[in-house]
Formats: sequence, structure tokens, C-alpha cells
Amino acid sequence: MFRRDSSHEAAFRAEVRTWLAANLPPELRGRANRPPPDKLMPWYRALSHKGWIAPHWPKEYGGMGATLNEQIIMTEELARAGAPQLPAQGLNHIGPLLMEFGTAAQKAEHLPPIIAGTVIWAQGYSEPGAGSDLASLATRATLEGDHFVVQGQKIWTTWGHHSDWMFALVRTDPQAQPRHAGISFLLLDLKSPGITIRPIVTIAGDDEFSEVFFDEVAVPAENLVGKLNDGWRIANALLGHERLGTSNPQFALMALERIKIMARASGVMAEPAFRDRLAEASINVMTLSALFNHAVELTNRRRSPGHEASIIKIFGTELLQSLNDLLIEAAGSEAALQNPIPTDFGAVEVSTPFLQARRATIYGGSSEIQRNIIARRVLKLPQ
Amino acid sequence: MELHLTTEQTLLRDSAAKFIATAGPKVAHTMRGREPSFAPERLRRAGELGWLGMLVPSSADGLGLGLTELALVIEQAGRGLACEPIGFAAIAAAALAQGPAPHPMLQRLMRGDALVVPALQENAHGLDLIAPRTQAAPRERAPRLTGVKTSVCADGADGFLASANGPDGPALYYVAREAPGVSITATQTVEGRKLATLALNDAPADLVPPRQSSRGAVEALTDLALFALSAELLGVMVGAQELAFEYLRVRRQFDKPIGAFQALQHKAVDIYIKTETTRSLLYQIANANDPYRMEPALVAAIKAKASADALAVTQACIQLHGAIGFTDEHDIGLYLKRAMLLSSMLGNAAAQRRRYIEITGLGI
Repeated sequence: MFRRDSSHEAAFRAEVRTWLAANLPPELRGRANRPPPDKLMPWYRALSHKGWIAPHWPKEYGGMGATLNEQIIMTEELARAGAPQLPAQGLNHIGPLLMEFGTAAQKAEHLPPIIAGTVIWAQGYSEPGAGSDLASLATRATLEGDHFVVQGQKIWTTWGHHSDWMFALVRTDPQAQPRHAGISFLLLDLKSPGITIRPIVTIAGDDEFSEVFFDEVAVPAENLVGKLNDGWRIANALLGHERLGTSNPQFALMALERIKIMARASGVMAEPAFRDRLAEASINVMTLSALFNHAVELTNRRRSPGHEASIIKIFGTELLQSLNDLLIEAAGSEAALQNPIPTDFGAVEVSTPFLQARRATIYGGSSEIQRNIIARRVLKLPQ
Repeated sequence: MELHLTTEQTLLRDSAAKFIATAGPKVAHTMRGREPSFAPERLRRAGELGWLGMLVPSSADGLGLGLTELALVIEQAGRGLACEPIGFAAIAAAALAQGPAPHPMLQRLMRGDALVVPALQENAHGLDLIAPRTQAAPRERAPRLTGVKTSVCADGADGFLASANGPDGPALYYVAREAPGVSITATQTVEGRKLATLALNDAPADLVPPRQSSRGAVEALTDLALFALSAELLGVMVGAQELAFEYLRVRRQFDKPIGAFQALQHKAVDIYIKTETTRSLLYQIANANDPYRMEPALVAAIKAKASADALAVTQACIQLHGAIGFTDEHDIGLYLKRAMLLSSMLGNAAAQRRRYIEITGLGI
């Protein structure tokens, strides 16, 4: 939208588009829910086999080492094809984090399976008593000889019950002040004895997340990332990447397509008042694309977009919700139907994406926490 | 978020900020209602700095720069409430530099010795921008214009770039202020300058040819004007939020700075998000477009967003100031008034959304 492809880029775009048309299974296209692992991981591995699973990773770790423009082209073409959301904890979180902070052994053990799609990662940050106030987390890890003993509970763990490994923040110094100075960053094999995982059903009807219990779980000391009690800094170093990843315009673009189909089918597209709001929404989606391009530019130059990335998280997720408001408005009395709504232009999911959108302003730091961060770190307002 | 600029672009932005700060809002207070409503010597200084010929090709003695540079300078003009119409002058120069031989007014305009401004509007909602009702006739001899152009920033202008329906469809014409058949009725705005209605009655004019291989001259100038207004609106937002955020740091109530209250912090962040999202959209468009061949849908989008957001931001900044923000003496009110004027020109946010719908068909 904001760039003209060079001839090399145009060729790359055409290659991606053709390949997606031939290889992305129809049942995975345009879905509001993430498909279960037995459906999704074959697609993940197909992208991996093609060499396209990690455009943003350097070649030395098995990524594409793609240019900024190639990354944006990949994003745009995946969105255009309605590709499903991949599990991102490995690709966007622990992968880049290990590249920066991991030992040679940790990189050698963990990075190749992320690329290959043979290991799924979960993030263990939130706890029942530590949501927005994450630094109050209480899951204990006590060093006993050559291993840690982990005791406690994590919750809201996306794909926890489908995952093989977890990267977690754990308390290694209960006395530390400030509290985040007593937190370490640990890698846990979820098959270890003493771990119980229970799925949690969401308001959207899926079991995307779970709670994970640790009862005297032994974790080898070499699974510590970085130094003891330095976990908070490590986890925060790449938070910008997460905020960026969750604000990919792909989801807003897909929401816009649903609105257009639903509004055509229901006839509301002819209403000037509705068209005005759809124009405003379209301009906001265009703005999100601009913001995303801008942030990717900065990321590529400085490695991390910094706290400014919080504005993308707020803008992108609140936009996603307003788009879904427009979607249920377009659906009229069919808004609350549970299943996709059949129309002359294909079936449209309405209630599922609307409900799914509630989570966006909560996970990865709620909109309110993001506003606190910007007020303090960017605007430097008094505390 | 910071912009990814070259060293030359950073220097240009910084020198614009420095120059514009030498006048600033204090001078803007004193210029209100004056004729002209700006300082001619400062317009000449902008000309000396090369800004008025920024988009003009170097073959016609301009700087040959692009939309990013234009936006960087005009953003600073909005931020410092510059009264000189630098943006309009720069885009008028770009239009007059087209064709086989540049228009005779071009050199004076680029030096800031004369001022030429667009006269594109005929309707309060900018509905006739591309299809003017003003007529230009005939083909055989020097063209003459008959019609009415509205909402023209005529203060201090020596001539106008008027759109009119000519023998070959919509075209752009230069009309001198002193030409026979031109009568101007100016009305005071709250912002300081006047808006004029230009009645053209068989007024002699020069055809301004379009750039070869570009869109029509009227479309090109309209899109440049909308883009320039958007850049200035961004600057207005930036200047207003700087004032408001500083006030949050220094104003104390309940024994602490009011900026420590979360309700006000979140309001401040909402202001910041509007400003920064407008900035990203504006500069991504600048980066992706040629000044003479802009994507009209992108232009409608940025003018819609900048107009709506600048009004919202400047109003919220007054609220953050409390009662002092409602006084004529304080600068923050001038930012709201500048936003009122610029957002309304050539079609406000709602009018731009209608244009966006016409251009894109909403993608269906």
C-alpha cells in the first residue's frame, strides 16, 4: 500500500502468492479461531520446509534473513490468503530472546526445533495473583545443587496443553527489593514429573489457554537464561517484539473483509451512515498498516522499537474491537448466532471473532497497563 | 515513533523548527485580523531558505525535493503556529513550474516576493474540487474565467491558482489578484486570517499546464494541498500536546503535579496516540508517493484522519489546561482555532471520508 515493489520484490511477492494459493489448505483460510495443532502444525512445517517460517530470523539460525520489504510482503500475502495465526511463542518470543541472551548450548538445543515445527513453546508469565502486577509473581524456583525445584502455578498460558516447553518467570529471591530484582528466566520441559496442565474454556468457546501447576518440579540449572535474578530485564528486553507481533495488520484486514461480506449480504452496505463508519474503519486499518511498517523499519534498525511499540498494541487491538463492533452491526439480528452465517458470498464468522477480540486488549499487558507505560516511559509524566 | 530520516532531512527539519520558533504563538496572537495576516519579510526569509521552491525541479531553480521534506517543514510551521502560508506557496510554486516554460510568477513566488495561493473550492464541503463549475472560455484566445471560488486564503496573495472547466475539461488557471473582473470579499475567521470569496467575471487567466505523464493539474494540486494541510494539522497536534504535557508536569493540585493522576495520564496517552498514528500515516504516504502522482485514496485518508484527530487533540488539550485553557491570552486556544480552520479547508473529515468512498468504492 505504501511501497512500490522493486522488480526483485515483485517476483518474490508473485512467488509467495502462487505458492500460498497452491499449498494453503482451504479449511485453514480466513478462520477466526486458531485451528488445533493436528490441523495447524502440518501447515507450520510446510512453511518451514519451504524456508519461509521465520522471515525475521537470521540465516545462521535457520531463518530467511529477509529484508524489511520482504517481511512486509510475506505479512501482506499471508493476510491476503487468509492464513491462520501460527503459534508465535517460539518464533517471536523465546527464539529471538535466546539469540540475544541464550548460551551456545541453549541455542543449539532449542532454536532448530522451533524452525522445524517439532517443538511448541508456551509462555509462563501470568499467575492467579500476578496479572497486570506481574512483578508480584510467586512461583518459586529454589536452587538445590545442579537443579532448581519449581513450585507454583501459571495461568492464561496460550496453547499450554499443546506445548512441549515453557519459558517462565520464576521467583528465585523472595526477599529482593524491588520485587522484580528477585525474578529469574527459566526454560521448563513440560513433560517433567510434577507438572499438571488443565485447559480453560474461553468466552469464545475454544480452549486456547490453560493453567499449569508445578509440584516440586526438578529443572536442570543449565536451563536458566541469563544470570540468576536477572529475568525481569531479559523478559522485558524483547517485549516490544511481542507488542509488534500481536498488532500485525493481518487480523484487522481479515476483520475488514468479514464486515464487507456481511454488510453486502445484509444490505446495510447501502446505508450512508454505515458506509461512513466503514470508511473511517478502513482508514484506521490503513493507519495500522502505516504504523506497523514504521515500527518494522525501526525494529530492523535498532533491534527493538522500544516503549513506543505500546501505541501499536493499543491502537491495533482497540481497532480490532471497533471493527468487530461494526461486524455485529452489519449482521443485525444474526449477530449472536453461534455458527458462521451463510451468505451468497460465502459463510462469515461473526460471533466468534467478536468474542475473540475481547482478549486482544487484555493479553500481553492490558490497554490500561500500556497507557501507564507510555505515560511514564515515553511522555515522562510525573508519578 | 521517531522517523527514519537522512542527515539532510534531519537538518532541514531542525532548521525549520529553529526559524519558526523565532516567531511562534506569541507573534501569531498579534497577527490576528491584520492585513496581511503574516509578516511578508518572514515569507521572504522562507524563500531565501529555499522552502518555497522545495518541490520545484532544480532545472527551474528549485530544490527538487519530495513530499517527506515538504511535510517536515510544514509540520514545523503548524507546530510553531507560523502565520506565513509556506505550504500553499510551496505547492503553488510546484504547479507553476510545470509545462514547457515555467510561469513568469514562479521566480518571485519562490523568493517570497509574491504570493500565489490555490483557489480550488466552490462548496463548503469541497464537493467540486475535481469538477469545478467555474467556466473557462474560449479556446481560441487568452482564456477568461467566470465563476465563484470560495474559502480562499487570499490574505496577502498576488494571484490565485483557480480550477475551472475549460474546453478540454477541468484545468488549472493562474489569475492575478488585480486582473479585471476579479472581486474579492474577505470574511474574518477565528484563527486570524480571512477566508475570501473570489468572484470571477470574465477575468483573464493563464492556463497552467499539467506535468507531462502526471495526473491532471487540478487533481495534482488538490492532492498536494490536502497533503500539505494534513502535514500542518499534524504540526498543530504536536505543538498543542507539547504545551499540554508540559502543563501536566508543572501545574500542581492536591499537593502533586496533576500529571501524576492516572485519569489525566490516560487522556494524555490518547492524545499522543492520535498524534503518532497521524504521523506514521502521513510519512508513510510521503515516502511512497511522487508529489505529482499521489494516490487520491491515500490523500483523502490522511486528510480525513488529520482533520478529525487535530480537532479532538486540540480540544482535549484545552480540557487538560482547565480554565486557563479557555482564555484568549493562552496559546492553546490558538491551536484549536488553527485546527478548526485547516480541518475545514478543502473538505473536512466527513467530506474526505465521502471522497474516500467514491474513490475506493470501499473495496467491494
